[in-house]
Amino acid sequence: MNLSDSLQRRQFLKQLGLASTAALATSGTHLWGNEEIVHPSARADSCILLWMGGGMAAPDTFDPKTYLPYEDGLEVKKILSTFPAIDTNVDGVKISQGLENIAQVMDRGTLIRSAIQPDLGAILHSRHQYHWHTGYVPPITVAAPHLGAWMSKVLGPKNEVVPPFINIGQRLEGVGEKEELKAFTTAGFFGSEHGPMNLPFPEQAVQSVQPPKGMEPGRFSNRYKHFKSLLDQNPNRDNMSDFQGESMIRSMESAHRLLQSDEKHAFDLTREPKDSANKYGDSRFGQGCLLARRLVEQGSRFVEVTTEYVPFLNWDTHENGHTTATRMKKEIDQPVAQLILDLEARGMLDRTLVILASEFSRDMMIEGVPGSTAPDQSRARTDKLKEMKQYGLHRHFTGGSSVMMWGGGVKKGHVHGATAEERPLMAVKDPVSIEDLHATIYTIMGINPKTAYEVEKRPFYATKDGIGKCANGVLA
Amino acid sequence: MTRYATTSSLTFLILLLCIQPLPGKIDFVHQVLPILKKNCAECHTEGQKKGGLAMNTLSEFLAGGEGGEVAVPGNPEDSYFLELVNSDDSDERMPPKGSGLTDEEVKLLHQWVEDGMDWPEEIRLGESGWEPSLKPRKITLPIAIFGRTHPIDRLLDRDLIKRKAPLPSPTDDRTFIRRAYLDTIGLLPTPEELDKFLADTKPNKYGRLVGGLLERDVAYADHWLTFWNDLLRNDYTGTGFITKGRTQITTWLYEALRKNMTYDQMTRELIDTKEKSAGFINGIKWRGNVNASQTRNMQFAQNVSQVFLGINMKCASCHDSFIDRWTLQEAYDLAAVFSEKPLELERCDVPTGKMATARWIFPELGQIDANASKTKRLKQLAALMTHPENGRFTRTMVNRIWAQLMGRGIVHPVDAMHTKPWNEDLLDFLANRFAEDKYDLKKFIHFVMCSEAYRSSSSLLSKEPGIDYAYNGPLPKRMSAEQLMDSIWQVTSSNPKNANAKVDRKFDNAKPVPSEILSFSWPEKISANWIWSKEEAPKIKLRKEVTLDEKPQSSGILATCDNAFSISINGRYIARSTAWEKPVKLLQSDLFQAGKNLIEVEAEMFGGAQGFVGQIVLQYENRQEVIETGADWLAQAPDQDWSQAQAVKEYGQAPWSKVLHSQSIQDGKTGTDPPVRASLVANDFLMRSLGRPHRDQVVTSRPSSLTTLQAIDLANGEILSNTLTKGAQNLSRSKKRKDIPVWLYRHALGRSPTEKEERTLLAVTQNSTDHQGVEDLLWLVFMQPDFQIIR
Repeated sequence: MNLSDSLQRRQFLKQLGLASTAALATSGTHLWGNEEIVHPSARADSCILLWMGGGMAAPDTFDPKTYLPYEDGLEVKKILSTFPAIDTNVDGVKISQGLENIAQVMDRGTLIRSAIQPDLGAILHSRHQYHWHTGYVPPITVAAPHLGAWMSKVLGPKNEVVPPFINIGQRLEGVGEKEELKAFTTAGFFGSEHGPMNLPFPEQAVQSVQPPKGMEPGRFSNRYKHFKSLLDQNPNRDNMSDFQGESMIRSMESAHRLLQSDEKHAFDLTREPKDSANKYGDSRFGQGCLLARRLVEQGSRFVEVTTEYVPFLNWDTHENGHTTATRMKKEIDQPVAQLILDLEARGMLDRTLVILASEFSRDMMIEGVPGSTAPDQSRARTDKLKEMKQYGLHRHFTGGSSVMMWGGGVKKGHVHGATAEERPLMAVKDPVSIEDLHATIYTIMGINPKTAYEVEKRPFYATKDGIGKCANGVLA
Repeated sequence: MTRYATTSSLTFLILLLCIQPLPGKIDFVHQVLPILKKNCAECHTEGQKKGGLAMNTLSEFLAGGEGGEVAVPGNPEDSYFLELVNSDDSDERMPPKGSGLTDEEVKLLHQWVEDGMDWPEEIRLGESGWEPSLKPRKITLPIAIFGRTHPIDRLLDRDLIKRKAPLPSPTDDRTFIRRAYLDTIGLLPTPEELDKFLADTKPNKYGRLVGGLLERDVAYADHWLTFWNDLLRNDYTGTGFITKGRTQITTWLYEALRKNMTYDQMTRELIDTKEKSAGFINGIKWRGNVNASQTRNMQFAQNVSQVFLGINMKCASCHDSFIDRWTLQEAYDLAAVFSEKPLELERCDVPTGKMATARWIFPELGQIDANASKTKRLKQLAALMTHPENGRFTRTMVNRIWAQLMGRGIVHPVDAMHTKPWNEDLLDFLANRFAEDKYDLKKFIHFVMCSEAYRSSSSLLSKEPGIDYAYNGPLPKRMSAEQLMDSIWQVTSSNPKNANAKVDRKFDNAKPVPSEILSFSWPEKISANWIWSKEEAPKIKLRKEVTLDEKPQSSGILATCDNAFSISINGRYIARSTAWEKPVKLLQSDLFQAGKNLIEVEAEMFGGAQGFVGQIVLQYENRQEVIETGADWLAQAPDQDWSQAQAVKEYGQAPWSKVLHSQSIQDGKTGTDPPVRASLVANDFLMRSLGRPHRDQVVTSRPSSLTTLQAIDLANGEILSNTLTKGAQNLSRSKKRKDIPVWLYRHALGRSPTEKEERTLLAVTQNSTDHQGVEDLLWLVFMQPDFQIIR
């Protein structure tokens, strides 16, 4: 879809009013104020967020500093990075060893090295993740909508049949802090019509669009046929034409439309040709990237794929950081690069914004930012290295982290902002707050960062209080 | 001020300015008012208060906004608004839109201020926001029309007639009974209950039905717990529990509902807390630093004002509210009632240096002693909140209940009680009535439900009503997630086994043992027989009719069944057990009445031996009468006529031996609780998907529409699909396949299917050999809007 297509579509939707989005019942939330919000023209139509849940250490990934290899007795305060830097296909830009594949697609995107987060006193993943995903620091008095819900709400579905907001790879049951995760994995006050379709296991995603387990497709479609017959045969049919009843029937229709559509095959990873699927590796995250590509191809608006946040696992390295980072980089390197290449090969990269981000960075020494009252949460405290598990970035650092953006509307082969070369590794150039980062994302997607909806008679803005400013240096 | 005057004066003004720059004394109406109207009115009148500034009248203008005063008569230098209208800074200038004021206009305003800001009191730039009087307002009831004498109808009918709208006609009995059941106890009427009600020709059948439902204390508490849990943000899992930063009030709340604790007493116990109810005012303690508006103190101020007074103090927790009259100071003062330490005001997270004084927001009813201890302050707040003159307190609650029963509040939304009600007299009348009835919640629900208005056909709207809403009968309501699950579980007997809520649902425990029961003693001997129908059916009914000369003082039931049974007396469900080694044993003062009494048992065997045995003891002042199971009872196997029960074994014999004498059964307690209800279990994927909220915040309404993602969950979600599988097995065991469609329609929808419908339904079951057909049938019925909407 080119730019004018997208504009036309927006226009078309406007004229159509509810008719086109009526398949999704309206939740009654309306824009704040009488002012006509002018949206920027969209640079991308779809967005994929690759979420490095748990706090990805920038110095060991996208912002390498002086490297000191493991050595018994090494003073830990000297350590900045635990991996050497490698060249990328962009002159003068180095990233961390272990990201060799990503290094070869750095020329397709912009690396922000100066993302910053507030210090919330105690560093808690779920609160920072809530903040990152909604733009608001919890607790707040209303349930804030997720970034994906904003896109669903403001932009609507790109393809009426495909859910606009899909969340891949995060279990919401049976993991620590699950309630806290659920609190932001939601459309909040926008209502569940804009909420996520959760697909924690990519290889099982197809089950979400299939008949229930053990039900033959024939039986399933028959059941729906009978459902419609019964609606028609109902002697009170005329008394059911209230908005509650009608919206219920409409939603059943659009659900079954998806479940009986061709688009539903996007959820079925077994339909991907073997050699192309293999390029994504067999990790859950890799399969999630593949699924994201398939869903965006079929017209999903926003897809998040996570390495999964589970307390003390994956990027949440309170100890053994170097070893874990080695594994995590191996998990993401190939599929992320492949996703970019695949989107490009399909001519979709220009209209798809791919973001790789984490709730904060990590540091060998500093919890929060220098001077923070945040308690030290390292599980491998030592002054001098005695064993391998002490080698790694074990503290939560909020003063400077890296965000990678590819595709739709961002500069190619560009680096935005910088962190200091010596500890503290604070963002020293062009810092990008969460508000500004979101404003950048929204601007690319064609959403005015000052867009506000009314809740409890107050405005609720896409970026906190409407203050987010697009980091213009990032845009192509 | 009429529109005509404004337009013409504007024209006049322009002419005037052309000829004569500035006359000596400014004429407010003709010179100033048009400028204000054109440039200020949009954001500062008619309930709009941008920056906290209202300009409907001079006094509002002089009161200033959030940042303090903006205009000082006679003193242009101190009149900040002059600076704003003359500013070159586009972020600062007023008005923010358009080209702003001309130099002439600015000059004119300057002069107007210098001259002392003449602004006649009777001239208003707009209407101020509607402000209800705090005190209860006495209402004189209009005369009844067409014999509709219920006070609610007298008030509503007058309004309908005035609007020349037709009086809504009563709904049919089938719709009424379904509505009444779901609204009071959150369950569907059984086909038997439905028939009984339809056949009832005695007077006041509607009132009697509602009264009887409200007496089912456990079912009532099970249903209304959802409303109260949402309102008081109480849950069993969620943020804060893991770090002990939050406590439940479940046990207290459930008991309060079962006992029908009066609302003023509930409020007192929630504010002036006992340990068991402290979870509400204590809020949630978050780990790490939180926004100044989210400390426990501020949560207290917000939750107390929202829940009890329908006041949104969330805005005022950060800055003076733009939408109503509450100020940052008032929010902090209220928080200070709860705060252990002196509290400094923070404006949008920035300390102001000002300190809060423990005070509450309606000083006209009295004030809190800021120097008293926290315990005393809370006690004083509880007393002020429940003060008989606090009309806001009663209005807020009656409006919430009205919205639950009638589909929309008299004030909407229910948390904005400063909004003008669509029928002010009705709201005030209900509030007064509630207070006169000593804040008795059940009595109030009963009162509303006995009106013709509640019994009316619901009003069908093609879209969600907006501010143009006019009452034309109750609105259809979408079942809550809990009502939907409860109804599905009820029809398919597939309730979950365990509850997360720690509540006392034992039949008799909640009520104090009446003195007449104290003298009760169980007879030593039991000479009952294990009985069953002559046919060996897995699920049967048993009954016994007894005629009594007088009402017993108390009665005891001791019974069990291999494997499960439930017992009702005179149509009222009493108890059940699902394991033969766990008999029901209970004492009750009002099980039987003088005259005819009907004991009904539904008995079920899961395989192996079968039998039901029981002893019922009627205690009179000087004697006991014992009813025991035997061949004189009647039994009915499915599709058979009633016939004499068969005595299977004498009590005491193998394999059950003397199970009723088991030491493990305690006096006065049933063996098992009634089936677990949805409000008592933790939120799951399906209920969350259907709109059961995450209760971090107070929630006062549920989504009214089904969304596509929810529909997908209903179409293929695992939880529902498993429930239907289990339910189909249960039904197939107890019912003949060909009878299921009619029975299901009658239970689930309150009517029989038409011939056409029955053909469709039978086609679904016919072609499948196992439970699949029944499973599909259940889905087809449960998915219908007729099922999921309470009309």
